[in-house]
Amino acid sequence: MGRYFRTYTSAAPLAVFRIAFGVMLLGSVVRFWSKGWIEELYIKPSFFFPYYGFEFVKPLGEYTYLLFAVCGLSALLVALGWFYRMASVLLFLSFTYIELMDKSTYLNHYYFVSLVAFLLIFLPANAYFSVDAYQNRSGFYDQVPRWTIDSLRLLMGIVYLYAGLAKLNSDWLLEALPLRIWLPGRNDLPIIGFLFNYRETAYAFSWLGALYDLSIPFLLLNRVTRPFAYVAVVVFHVLTVILFPIGMFPYIMIVAALIFFSAGFHQKIIAVFRSWLRLPDHLPGPEKIRVYSPQRTRALLAGLAVFFAIQLLFPFRYVLYPNELFWSEEGYRFSWRVMLMEKMGHVQFKVVDESGRQAVVNNHEYLTPLQEKMMATQPDMLVQFAHYLRDQYTRKGFQNPKVFADTYVSLNGRLGKPYIDPTVNLAQETDSFRPKKWILPFGDEIKGL
Amino acid sequence: MAHLSWKTVGFLFAFLGLVWACSTSKDTPDPDPDPNPTTPVGTDRKAMLTHLADNIILPGYANFKTKFDLMRTKSEAFAAKPDPTTLTEFRQAWVDAYTEWQKVELFDVGPAESQTLRYFFNIYPANVAGIEENIVSGSAVMDLPAAYPKQGFPALDYLINGLAATDDAILLRYTTAADAAKRIAYLKRITTQMNTVFTAVLTEWTTGGYRDKFVNCTGIDAGCSTSKLVNGYVLHYERYIRSGKFGIPTGVMASGTPAPEKVEAFYKKDLSLVLAKTAHQAAIDFFNGKDIKTGQEGPGFKSYLNALGAKDSQTGKSLVEVINAQFESTNAKLNALKPNLHDEIKTNNAAVVAVYTEMQKAVRMLKVDMTSAMSITITYVDTDGD
Repeated sequence: MGRYFRTYTSAAPLAVFRIAFGVMLLGSVVRFWSKGWIEELYIKPSFFFPYYGFEFVKPLGEYTYLLFAVCGLSALLVALGWFYRMASVLLFLSFTYIELMDKSTYLNHYYFVSLVAFLLIFLPANAYFSVDAYQNRSGFYDQVPRWTIDSLRLLMGIVYLYAGLAKLNSDWLLEALPLRIWLPGRNDLPIIGFLFNYRETAYAFSWLGALYDLSIPFLLLNRVTRPFAYVAVVVFHVLTVILFPIGMFPYIMIVAALIFFSAGFHQKIIAVFRSWLRLPDHLPGPEKIRVYSPQRTRALLAGLAVFFAIQLLFPFRYVLYPNELFWSEEGYRFSWRVMLMEKMGHVQFKVVDESGRQAVVNNHEYLTPLQEKMMATQPDMLVQFAHYLRDQYTRKGFQNPKVFADTYVSLNGRLGKPYIDPTVNLAQETDSFRPKKWILPFGDEIKGL
Repeated sequence: MAHLSWKTVGFLFAFLGLVWACSTSKDTPDPDPDPNPTTPVGTDRKAMLTHLADNIILPGYANFKTKFDLMRTKSEAFAAKPDPTTLTEFRQAWVDAYTEWQKVELFDVGPAESQTLRYFFNIYPANVAGIEENIVSGSAVMDLPAAYPKQGFPALDYLINGLAATDDAILLRYTTAADAAKRIAYLKRITTQMNTVFTAVLTEWTTGGYRDKFVNCTGIDAGCSTSKLVNGYVLHYERYIRSGKFGIPTGVMASGTPAPEKVEAFYKKDLSLVLAKTAHQAAIDFFNGKDIKTGQEGPGFKSYLNALGAKDSQTGKSLVEVINAQFESTNAKLNALKPNLHDEIKTNNAAVVAVYTEMQKAVRMLKVDMTSAMSITITYVDTDGD
């Protein structure tokens, strides 16, 4: 083990990863901006759903654009490997800040991006083929500790493996849900569309998808299976692009998975970049190895150990909750549970004051359609909004208003049913990591992990 | 070297793509008996959209046009010579057209949506003070939201049923009153406005190419027909049938204080229940894909949901059965009411609220269970009950 941490390898994979990741994120920011989503999601709404413990993270009004600009610029700098250390810190902070502003935009792949950006802060990704290395010859290294590259592989492996484990449940495997619901919606696609009329296709996709997620990290690690595995990565993610509105995630995964390839492969990619950019095709002298001091190595490895321990354990926190995970969503986020549910809900709030005065709330007065949709099926968001309503109606002159929710939620094709106890005054309940007793029982069981 | 490796990757890619294509084509079932009601035919959205357009929406509009044109003729006859006969005939034509309107208001998709057809036809309660102001000014702008409750069927209701207690007194307002000419001019203005907007909608469907666009946009994303249709349908059921006809006048949506003057066709008095029942039945028939001309069911939400195999996994009942049973429960409550909803709300409000309650159950099924089964996103926002 000690020997492993003193093994060194080519820095090329880190360099390629850095460039690809930076470019992808820059692209994501540009795309987000050009679609008008900054305005739509972070400026227009009057209320935002913060994460537990991060209530201080709020959109910055018009300055939110600046935040995205910082994010895009730092992504570019990371790609170039220019002022890398500062840029990687800024990228992590700005991107994570953006994601923490409103829970209703939560996506697993944003979380993945945040984690990778965090790791990159501590990895010597600018040691090779970077502006930093060209400008400052002393910062140039073409050999880096092996664990720096392997840590990215490990993170990707966890993402895939855990996404696969999450699919080992009765809805996914035995009922082909929710793919059975989603796929017929794409039956008008040319050539392959007709397949989606058959339930067998949904089963095939469900099982192959689970198999893919569970096996792909290992197939990518193995030199012999790697080219085939990578083709599978491309096919899998391209298919998700065709079938679902999934944004940049598939592309990010497709390029990120290149990290599994050998140093020689990445050197060829860099050679291609060199010839495009007409940069001199030379290796400056003998190999230069990035050796960290023992103290530094120890600190970094200890930090990584903690980081990965959290990664491995946090997704399993759901076992501490008595409710059905998919129903209550206690411990659902940050666990690589991707596309596992077709969940839809409808909620109507009633505010009653001490004198018996009452009002039925128009959610849309305060929320965007996206926020309303996300809130309707997630208890922590329902209680957050109930608190907001309590404060709003207090300002309107209601005395100690009570807030009740009339809810109806359907999960994976089961007929909808009430979700939150309608007799519970949500104004008095709090959102925390403790189990929420006012979530009504699911009345069914989804077996599995 | 680099070129070689990319070529290899490209080759592998093509090879695996081929393998994948072959392996998935095995998923095609042989024509053996299918235990599930999943027939490819039923999930063909183009067939569904074609049936809905050609056998429901377009004939629906044609039927409405007949009634509406007759009403315009009768209104012109009345304007030319206001007397008891022309008034009676105009009123009858208005009743027929208003009732027929209930069968087309739910097609809130395409031209009707972009032209906001409903706003020029049926926003109530009528703004009486605004109507009187418009009559005096003679040149009010009719296209702004503030003008919606000053036109359409509700304004006509006021102008032919609500001006005075007796027919003679009403006629005087069109004959000897000082502003009689202006009142007649405003009447014409309303029917002309309705005709202009409706003609624009119909023309776009028939000769404007929208029909083809409608049946060919088969995706389920927010920009395509199925999603727009479902959204328009659920919106109509929730906001314009449940809230407009029952939730708001009964007061259940606000403070609980009944507002009987907010019923539809307030001045005609005894028409409100007929209109509500007609609108509700039209929504049921549309859900079931009932051909307007033949009365036979064809491809629609019902057959689509059945083909998707949508059912309550706990009871095994199909979603279609569940929804239709809910429609029936609502009908039962509707049938218990007397024709004048204004009076019913005043004297028997609990029975009217019962209709709202049943409709609310249907709203949830349509808005949550149906859209979820179809994997369609509700993109409209409710603006009911302030």
